[in-house]
Amino acid sequence: MLSFILRRLLIIVPMALLVVTLTWGLIRIAPGTFYSSEKKLPPAIEENIKKKYGLDKPWYQQYGLMMYNVVRLDFGDSLKYPGQTVNEIIWRHLPYSATIGLLAYVLALVFGLTFGIIAALKQNSLWDYGSMALAMLGLSVPNFVLGPILVLGFALGIYWFPPARWGTVANLVLPVITLSAIYAAYIARLTRAGMLEVMRSDYIRTARAKGLDEKTVLLKHALRGGIIPVVSFTGPALAALLAGTVVVERVFAIPGLGNIFIQSVLNRDEPLTLGIVAFLSILIMVFNLIVDISYGFLDPRIRYE
Amino acid sequence: MRYVSGGEIESLDPPITNSQPDARILIALFDGLVEYHPKTMEPIPGIAESWETSSDGTEYLFHLRRNAKFSNGDPITASDFVYSFRRGFAPELASRNAYLGYYIKYSEAYNSDKSFVKDSSGRFLLKKDLEEKNGDEQVVGPPAATLAESDFSRFLDSPERFTVPSDEKERTKLTDKDLKLKAALAGKEFVPVKAEDIGVEAVDDYTLRIKLYQPAPFFLGLLAHQFFRVVPHKVIEQWGNDWTRLEHIVTSGAFKLSVHRPYDVLIVTRDPNNWDAANVKLDSIEFYPLDEQTTMMNLYKAGSVDALYNHTVPAAWFEQIRPFQAEYSLQPEIACEFYVMNVKKKPMDDLKVRQAFALAVDRGALAKFRKTIKPLIDMTPEGIFPKYEEARTKVYTEELKKKGSTLDEWKARVFDAEKARKLLTDAGFAVTKTGDGYECPSFPIDKVNITYNTAESNKAVAEFIQAQWKQNLGITVPLKNMEFRTFLPLLNKVDYEGFARRGWVGDYMDPYTFLSLYYSENNEGATGWWDPKFDKMLDNANNTTDPQKRLEILAQAEFYIMQQQIIIPLGTNTTSWMKKPYVKGMYPNPGTLHPWKFVYIERDPSKWTADMETIMKDEDPAVNVPLKALMATQEQMETSKATPPVAPQ
Repeated sequence: MLSFILRRLLIIVPMALLVVTLTWGLIRIAPGTFYSSEKKLPPAIEENIKKKYGLDKPWYQQYGLMMYNVVRLDFGDSLKYPGQTVNEIIWRHLPYSATIGLLAYVLALVFGLTFGIIAALKQNSLWDYGSMALAMLGLSVPNFVLGPILVLGFALGIYWFPPARWGTVANLVLPVITLSAIYAAYIARLTRAGMLEVMRSDYIRTARAKGLDEKTVLLKHALRGGIIPVVSFTGPALAALLAGTVVVERVFAIPGLGNIFIQSVLNRDEPLTLGIVAFLSILIMVFNLIVDISYGFLDPRIRYE
Repeated sequence: MRYVSGGEIESLDPPITNSQPDARILIALFDGLVEYHPKTMEPIPGIAESWETSSDGTEYLFHLRRNAKFSNGDPITASDFVYSFRRGFAPELASRNAYLGYYIKYSEAYNSDKSFVKDSSGRFLLKKDLEEKNGDEQVVGPPAATLAESDFSRFLDSPERFTVPSDEKERTKLTDKDLKLKAALAGKEFVPVKAEDIGVEAVDDYTLRIKLYQPAPFFLGLLAHQFFRVVPHKVIEQWGNDWTRLEHIVTSGAFKLSVHRPYDVLIVTRDPNNWDAANVKLDSIEFYPLDEQTTMMNLYKAGSVDALYNHTVPAAWFEQIRPFQAEYSLQPEIACEFYVMNVKKKPMDDLKVRQAFALAVDRGALAKFRKTIKPLIDMTPEGIFPKYEEARTKVYTEELKKKGSTLDEWKARVFDAEKARKLLTDAGFAVTKTGDGYECPSFPIDKVNITYNTAESNKAVAEFIQAQWKQNLGITVPLKNMEFRTFLPLLNKVDYEGFARRGWVGDYMDPYTFLSLYYSENNEGATGWWDPKFDKMLDNANNTTDPQKRLEILAQAEFYIMQQQIIIPLGTNTTSWMKKPYVKGMYPNPGTLHPWKFVYIERDPSKWTADMETIMKDEDPAVNVPLKALMATQEQMETSKATPPVAPQ
């Protein structure tokens, strides 16, 4: 078990470096620079900027310097926001995204699991069709539609919640609901499918045959196997949620990491983009590792030697 | 006061950033020699209470107030301005705005790391030593009467020195091309241009001199730009790059920084140390860095913000905002939209083809369709420079009379499909009538397209124009959209084919900011066009001291360049923003830059803004009285100078 974790942790390092290198290459291929604007700069000013940021050096030197920085986990200053370091920006904005991300995921789990289990247990009933129709709706209404609809209803129709911005708990309600909808729907469908498959398996029949009451069968035996697909989904989903979801952040004006990530790419803010990419890739790999470890606890058939 | 200011501020260091959202915040935090007039954006006294201009227009002497202070209580003196200007031009700072100040003597040389050339006897090589004598008679004005002489002023008034790149490689590149230059530089010493050589001088604690290369009548207006605002010397020396952090920052404006949560909010509060604090009405302003239009409109409707920045209400929402019509501003802006044509590539190298495409766009219909632009037929936006437009009408009438045409005919250029077809046929691309339309099979459709940067509004305009050309010329020009930063290099290198979309926001309140786009060989016009004759006309205009005469020469230049039809003017932009009626002292000025000290919240509903349409005519004593008091010092200066000793001609 320990050697498995160690092996996986060691792989993360070269993987992250590879991701960063690829990203760096892509940024360099993309035309345009962080300082370009509608107004063309005189060549002398362009020279000054290049000199200041070391862009006048040969590419391998720039790459070397970038890698050296990445290895030390110090991405330097943002180009778009001079005077602010990349690390500072990431740690400043992560909490916003993490807050709504985590809340949204908890909400999604509660609703998704509940509806999924009910649908599976009462297969082909009105309960089943109802929850699955709801899930279908959740999956097919994109959050850039759902968000404004919720705002229109709850912020501008009846004045229950503020329409946007960060601040009080009331400000969290609409973005969290918007964000969770699609995840709740997905989890409901995964749970239903997983549960249905497990309920038909031999070991459930065995459990029933040895006279266990239905509650124990469900919670102790069926659920553990049934939610494995949900757990697999949780890894990447949680990483994506923690690092921010652009659309919700833009619609609700939340100062999260997702919006900053997209802006950094549009602004050609190389250090910031690289920093967030490195951070995200490490986050995804760590979450995947955690998910893989948790399989061992959930499913007795999986053991890491 | 809660204001949506646009994208997140890049930096709180005034010379660094050049975006409009940042300017809106920086003008609250920093004061300059002059301030923007809240309605017209013309320069009004700021820290300088008055100023004088030398008779040749190349030198300014600013008289500073004695009570100007930084937010930490330190006095602001002329040397603070000298420091701020020198810092702005320092190559290490790499300011993107430095070019705005290139009119100041030797600032460009310092900013681009150049050197003076000294011979063994200690004499510096002068610019005129190397200039070739050409046929044109150099206009030499009377020797300028210097305003307050000093050793430094004599250095600045002496003939301009020649400069070459300090970098040897760059220099060799130049001398290899120019043997005469090589000979002139041989055996000479190179003295780098230093910050101290720039044409700014603290004559005494409260007098500042600025010396320009050549007269630039718009220069005064430029000084309100954040690049020229005063920054605290000591704090910057102490903290370096970190000086803009909340815990260190010291400001010079009517407001000081109190909260900055990036991407969330930036709050400024009134600074009691400011020289004009008595006239600052708001206690604090919250700037929200938002650029998502739906979000800001939701906040506006919910009453969570008081005003928005410009271009925030798209044309598609006109029905939606009808209930708020009186809060909506649709005034012309110092910005315009046009298509540039690549005159270096076939078939757009043919003037007739260019004219044909320009004539085949019904710009009146475009403006009706777009709603947020006003039709434009020339290069400079309409309704922004009334005096210039007067001069232009006069000049155009005269010029057209010479050609046997009239102004009405000229104005009809907005749209004339018949003539467009004829021109195109004359150019060798016969347009023929088919059933219910036209066709032009010989036109090389694969050689042109409309390139624009991805945006809903750009797409709508491109599709409209595409349809117009199809209908009127029978040519379907393909559309090509690109992400903004991919599009820019294409534009800068004039590498697009046929047509490209451009917008231009003026830097200062003078038509020159639009016309100079096509000035010099390496111009920013992105059309590939350059004509020394046009350059000369602009130079002549700026060397003319009589303001009305100058505008007329500029109008001649505009007439001249419009004959070349290197662009298709499409429209003058409009402000298109909203404010609540209780927000007063905030006007839809041409750049949507509000000097915040005039803004206030009116509690009495009877005094609220009745209609944004007529707001420019409102006479609000709360704004006008302090404004008049501010302007009085300069008016006094001007009247006392009204009868200067006549310089011998």
